[in-house]
Amino acid sequence: MDRDPYSDMAERFAQVSKRTTTWSGIPLRPSYISSDLLTLKEGEDFPPPGSFPYTRGIHPTMYRGKLWTQREVCGYGLPEDTNRRFRFLAEAGVTGLNVIVDVPTSFGIDPDHPKAEGEVGTAGANFTTVEDMEIIMKGVPLETVNMSLIIAAATSPVILAQYVAVAKRRGIDISRLRGTIQNDPIHTRYCGILLGVPLELGLKTNADIVEYCTGHMPHWYTMNVNLYDMREQGLTAAQEVAVGFSMAMMYIDNVLERGLSIDDFAPRIAFYCSGHIDFFEEICKLRAARKLWARIMRDRYGAKDPESQKFRFGVHTAGCSLVSHQPLNNIVRVAYEALAASLAGAQSIHCCSYDEPIALPTERAQKLAVRTQQVLAHETGVASVSDPLGGSFYVEWLTKALEEEIEREMGRIAEIGGMREAVRSGWLLQEIESALVERQRRIESGEEVVVGLNAFLDPEEETQTPLGVHRVHGPNCTDVQRRRLESIKSSRDTHAVRNSLQRLFLKARNGGWHVNLMPELIEAVDVRATLGEIMGTMRQAYGFEYDCFGMVQPPDIARFE
Amino acid sequence: MEGTRLRSSERSIRVVLAKMGLDCHDRGAKAVAHFLRESGMEVIYTGLFQTVDQVINTTIQEDADVVGISCLSGEHLTFVPSLLERMKEQGLDDRLVLVGGAIPVEDVPFLKEKGVHGVFSGAVPVSRIAYFIRENLRR
Repeated sequence: MDRDPYSDMAERFAQVSKRTTTWSGIPLRPSYISSDLLTLKEGEDFPPPGSFPYTRGIHPTMYRGKLWTQREVCGYGLPEDTNRRFRFLAEAGVTGLNVIVDVPTSFGIDPDHPKAEGEVGTAGANFTTVEDMEIIMKGVPLETVNMSLIIAAATSPVILAQYVAVAKRRGIDISRLRGTIQNDPIHTRYCGILLGVPLELGLKTNADIVEYCTGHMPHWYTMNVNLYDMREQGLTAAQEVAVGFSMAMMYIDNVLERGLSIDDFAPRIAFYCSGHIDFFEEICKLRAARKLWARIMRDRYGAKDPESQKFRFGVHTAGCSLVSHQPLNNIVRVAYEALAASLAGAQSIHCCSYDEPIALPTERAQKLAVRTQQVLAHETGVASVSDPLGGSFYVEWLTKALEEEIEREMGRIAEIGGMREAVRSGWLLQEIESALVERQRRIESGEEVVVGLNAFLDPEEETQTPLGVHRVHGPNCTDVQRRRLESIKSSRDTHAVRNSLQRLFLKARNGGWHVNLMPELIEAVDVRATLGEIMGTMRQAYGFEYDCFGMVQPPDIARFE
Repeated sequence: MEGTRLRSSERSIRVVLAKMGLDCHDRGAKAVAHFLRESGMEVIYTGLFQTVDQVINTTIQEDADVVGISCLSGEHLTFVPSLLERMKEQGLDDRLVLVGGAIPVEDVPFLKEKGVHGVFSGAVPVSRIAYFIRENLRR
């Protein structure tokens, strides 16, 4: 049935902006004036960039000192595939690398586990043994490159151990390694990886990494607290920061119990934030977060070193803001989100590829995402001046409004007994579920307009993804990784593996939660103990079942009483 | 739609909604479960990590009219075909089968050929899914 496209055009001509709140629901007036800032003091609320509390940026000259690091999330298929994609991205001009692990690796199970069937390499790279790390990092100069390991689960220290072991094999002084490990094991409970992460074990492995890197890898960011995944679940901008900060504080409190002082490790804590679709709200969220974090570090933790007080963050453009229909529209969304991130003074930006709501990105889609960053960094001029929006009536007002909202949300978490209690009692899960329902309600009602989803639909259904679809054959990768694992198991020095696992087990069991296991982990991965064996050994030492799914009995090599 | 069974109009539509394999992206499944419930259906959300056998058992036990599988990590090409085969073996091929999540349009013909009735890729208003279910169960 043909519809006359002109019939309601006069109506469309007169359309108005209907939104009177931010994406997260903060009510907005049509304009802001100087008197809205009367309660703010420039020196306290928005001093020049590089001055406490860093609302306007952590460096005085910002991107003139160093542009944001341009990375793209990478990891899929066989280790060789990820290695090839690294090279492709390097050729496209990214300035840092980044690898995300697959789901079996997050859980700490090997490819021969029944639950790994068909799952290897489908949503990230598989790191079963140090040999996988070797292949993935082949040709990558670990001594100079800035590497971000996206592994958040309790298996983080094993993956870091593999990375360190490969560096050591190459004769690299590990104190020179630069990069980041996500190491945020508790947040993964809200991304399904519940079983893999008993709360205490997650806190323990988190602290092991912080403590080890503080002593041995001074340039390494020891945790990259993941606010992004929490936001993707549906939380508001203020909740994203409040939950993320409360999570970080739980980790910090736990690390302090090891006897480190706050200024020893706080400068190496980073945050991984969402860059969602509400332009000003996102910018102001990040400005408010900088201000609040500086105060938390100074007032709550007594941090003296200005480096401890600086909120350093990467922004990942919001995957959940993308739409699978009319997918090229996503290129535009990502560009706006990345623009907001740069205006907010992000240290690193990851642009989503336009095809991410459909599958893992193709090479061409990922290159477009890199180019999006390059156009932003080099053509638009946004990188020339620090905090270019600072002093705007609206921006300063909204920053304050978000600051208050974040504090209110943090107050709610503190009231129920802090993050440990929020996790233990299921409170946080409830918050997430009511937030996701609320967002969906706005989409169902049309209150939130999403182009191609509930408005401006194309009458013709697309029958093809514009630049093709990236196919990862999970069953195939599982088979290949299983065969490789078998051959590693038959060729490795089983005595050395058994001994290294035994040392790990005994140190963990006798030393308790606070003993640092990183040296033993590095030793174990180096003799090719597998991820599953190592995690199983640690789990047994701390009184958990060998297998997080309760399906697999410990093999002789990793069976401990 | 041919193949979908007759339903007595007295009881509400029953939907089993499942996540299979290790895919942990469950935000969409939870939202769909919530809004199908609001539209008056009875929804059994299985949670994560379901196997083919578990989904079959739940479908039988709950006498579900609709089986919805949410896939965001490629399971639609592995678990869904095996699920449909087993459903056929078990005489459950009169149930309405829906797949949602991150599904390339290119895969829709394959899924339909395997016996999937409706594919809802990406975030769509749940009202569309509810409408599809009612339309296709009404005979």
